[in-house]
Amino acid sequence: MARAPKSRKTELLRGTLDLLILQTLTIRPLHGYGISQHIANLSDRTLLVEQGSLYPALERLQARGWVTSRWEQSPTGRRARYYRITGSGLRQLGEEISALDAVFLAINRVLRRA
Amino acid sequence: MSFFDALRFRLRAIARPGEHARELAEEMRHHVDLDAQQIAHEARDPVAEHDAPYAARRRFGNATYYEEEARRMSRLSWLDTIGQDLRFAVRTFRRAPGFTAVAVLTLALGIGANTAIFSAVDALLLRPLPFPQPDRLMSVSLTVPRRGNFPPRDDIVWSAPKFQMLRASEHVFASTTLWFTEPFTIGYGDQTLRDEGEYTDDGYLTTLGVRPALGRNFAAGETDHWRAAAVALISDALWQRLYDADKGVLGKIVTVNGVPYTIVGVMPPGFQGLSGQAMLWLPYTFNSNTRAQPYGPYDHSFAAVARLADGVTAEQAAAVVGTLGSRIDAAYPDPNSPSWHWGATAKPLDQARVDPRIRGTLLVLFGAVGLVLLIACANVANLFLARASGRRKEIAVRLAIGAGRRRLIAQLVTESVLLGVTGGVAGLAVAWAGTRALASLQISSVFQYNNAAHLGLLGSQAIHLDPAALLFTLALGVATGVLFGLVPSLQATKPSLTQDLKDDGARASRALGGLASRSTLVVAEIALAVVLLAGAGVVLRSLARRMGVEPGFDPAHMLTFRVNRVVTWAPDSITRFYDLAIQHLSELPGVTGVGIEDCPPLVRCSNTGVQLRDRAPAAPGTAPSAGVHWITPDWPRVAGVPLLKGRLLTSTDRVGTPLSVLVSATAARRWWPGQDPIGKTISAGGGGADSAFVVGVLGDVRYAGIDSLPGAEIYVSYYQAPFYYRIMLFLRTRGDPLALVGPARRVLAEWAPGFPMYDVRTMDDRVGDSLAYSRVSALLLGLFAAVALGLAAVGVYGVIAYSVSQRTREIGIRVALGATGADVEKMVIRQALRLGAIGGGAGLVAALLVTRVLSSLLFEVAPRDPVTLAGIVAVLAMVVLLASWIPARRAAAVPALEALKGS
Repeated sequence: MARAPKSRKTELLRGTLDLLILQTLTIRPLHGYGISQHIANLSDRTLLVEQGSLYPALERLQARGWVTSRWEQSPTGRRARYYRITGSGLRQLGEEISALDAVFLAINRVLRRA
Repeated sequence: MSFFDALRFRLRAIARPGEHARELAEEMRHHVDLDAQQIAHEARDPVAEHDAPYAARRRFGNATYYEEEARRMSRLSWLDTIGQDLRFAVRTFRRAPGFTAVAVLTLALGIGANTAIFSAVDALLLRPLPFPQPDRLMSVSLTVPRRGNFPPRDDIVWSAPKFQMLRASEHVFASTTLWFTEPFTIGYGDQTLRDEGEYTDDGYLTTLGVRPALGRNFAAGETDHWRAAAVALISDALWQRLYDADKGVLGKIVTVNGVPYTIVGVMPPGFQGLSGQAMLWLPYTFNSNTRAQPYGPYDHSFAAVARLADGVTAEQAAAVVGTLGSRIDAAYPDPNSPSWHWGATAKPLDQARVDPRIRGTLLVLFGAVGLVLLIACANVANLFLARASGRRKEIAVRLAIGAGRRRLIAQLVTESVLLGVTGGVAGLAVAWAGTRALASLQISSVFQYNNAAHLGLLGSQAIHLDPAALLFTLALGVATGVLFGLVPSLQATKPSLTQDLKDDGARASRALGGLASRSTLVVAEIALAVVLLAGAGVVLRSLARRMGVEPGFDPAHMLTFRVNRVVTWAPDSITRFYDLAIQHLSELPGVTGVGIEDCPPLVRCSNTGVQLRDRAPAAPGTAPSAGVHWITPDWPRVAGVPLLKGRLLTSTDRVGTPLSVLVSATAARRWWPGQDPIGKTISAGGGGADSAFVVGVLGDVRYAGIDSLPGAEIYVSYYQAPFYYRIMLFLRTRGDPLALVGPARRVLAEWAPGFPMYDVRTMDDRVGDSLAYSRVSALLLGLFAAVALGLAAVGVYGVIAYSVSQRTREIGIRVALGATGADVEKMVIRQALRLGAIGGGAGLVAALLVTRVLSSLLFEVAPRDPVTLAGIVAVLAMVVLLASWIPARRAAAVPALEALKGS
């Protein structure tokens, strides 16, 4: 999944990495390193995507048809694989976000009352 | 479309794994390089900057592992997994050709036999009848209760008066029709054919829902039951053969038994009537085409078929027909006993499609062959268990380095399914041979006697391997694969790693677990084999009983055939026909005697009420009955039927002299117990006016078939009571009877041209035919039982040999402590006998419960025949001893020192 810096581990809910990748790709097509950088920067380096999770996740997302990839020229002039989100990937993202919202809402309620 | 994106992605990953892997590697290199730049950019000193690539690689971690993981994500489609497993399985099997061959052969036998029997079941019992809405077609028949030695039946054909009573008052059928089949001599121009035809009426085709391909059906007026028109429908085959498929055939003439009929229609290809062999159709009349008298109430000749009226269910129709049946019984009570109440019933035509005995036999065989397959599966499972203990280390290593148990089981089951399917494919060869053999059986002909209303429509020739059978085989292969693969793989992957990793073979406590499940399998095998043996045993004993039956005549060196009645010969010249036949055929070299009889033994032809003149007329319905046979005087001598008393008929018994008859021993005993039958007077037949004197008593002949007890028979001379309905010629020969077929045909062609001889068989063949069905079922059951026993023996051998190899050390200790070789041998054999006793006991109990289904196949043998069961116990004990002999000898030869050192 994703790893917090130092030894403190932020256990993320299962499937959250997929969600983060899909969300990232809604901005623009990115290569794998770009995706991990983007997530790290946005989360203020709280969430560091482990490479061991990133590439399997990308393969999985492609196998499900939510993401496609193409080899393109990167700005540095080197060949890189760029990932983009598909229509069904967008729909999946919407569903997951609303599901996650519901979970967070529930967790918040529980925490506030406890 | 993202679905296609996904599909393309997966297919590419599967199809070009190398390229896919290279791309992943490149992508990760790219990642590391970019990260290295980032680190270098952030670095504060040149050393750190210089070390950036290493730092990036460290940060990235195990690239190969990630690659592997990533590939797993895309390729974990079931298709790919199976492909991988299959390749692995093929490699595994290639490394163990002996194991593979034994397993595949075992399965091929089991699956092939199942496919063959399934083909027969499918063709004869399952496939829908080839008519529109076949479920609305009903077979309507008479029923009789048990009469003396004759079992009750519900498939008796109709007499004309009885059926007219039914037809007059039922409203449940949209249409009804009658039909019966008869061999015809069919001629056109100078060609003549001898073929089956059907007599029927205009309702036949409308009831079945079949239309002529050319021309028209019979018109209602043409099939008036008292005056039929001379019109005919012909089959497509006859149209092709005699008329070269000429469209102008309508209106042409076809001669049937020498009488011209006008062709009004040609049937579609493949339609051969409900008899399954009709070449043409003629209208029948109740006035009888073939007899001097109209059909009486007890001339049961017509099979009835009906189509249900709209909104009427089969049950409602059966209830109505049943009610009418009682009314018909009241009008025409049984001539032999008023307490034997006949009835009528209607059942779906689909149920009447084959004789219930064939149905029963097929289902028994299907069950038996299923048991054989189960045993084969148990054996292969045992092989797998044995192999699994050899592979335990491999499996443990794979589990240890992180293979999932589920994944491993999937892989092991893939192996067994591959084996099962391979066995199935190999089994197709067995099935092909089996279906050919089954199709060549004339099983239906064996049953076409005794006035049964069964269809010949679905003869054994319909048995062949078709897509349904192939599908069945495939399903069986997969199912057996799962069946014999699952248990061993569950056991083999049981996680207890440390021990197996350390292990240098299979040893100690775990091994005992394996032995237990293997022993259980073998016990089950033995039990199943015993059930099969019990079934085969009683059926074989029945066959032996049947073959031991004295038919009452001498079938050796006897040629029999029919010659069609010569319609154009005037009835009063018929005796001349017999004279000529006997005279010409007797002159053939090699012929020692010629006789004529109207109906051959083993096929009951007629049963007629008899009045005994020496006592008051019997009350209606209590009169005795007998079969009446027309013979030439010499026939008993030619056929080898002994004269027990009195004299034979002679040439002086002619028209005009007092009627003389012979009676069978059973008739004499039944009618005049303790008296001399010679000189008694009887009359036979409907009128009962003619009295006949008994002049002699003949030995009993089993006219109703080998299975049936001989009955009362009366023999009349053709010369005294001319009768020309049908005749069969009996030629007693010195050498091979079949050598005389050619000469006899030539002689007959000379003086009776255009009327070929047909139904040419040796009497031995006819006897063989009447046993064919019991012989085939006994043979197949015996074969299945033998295979089962053989497989069980192999299973016992395997388990005992395995256990001996496990107990080498223990045996060594025993020997070291003073046990002799004989002691060890005894110990091993005792273990085998224990398995045999448990399996045999369970099998005997199951056999006692199961063999009852065989009753219909048995003859003078009880389903729980104690002799058979005792025999099985003996055979089983011998087989178990034999199977454990070699391992026992091996155990006894274990040198104590080596065994102790060995571990």
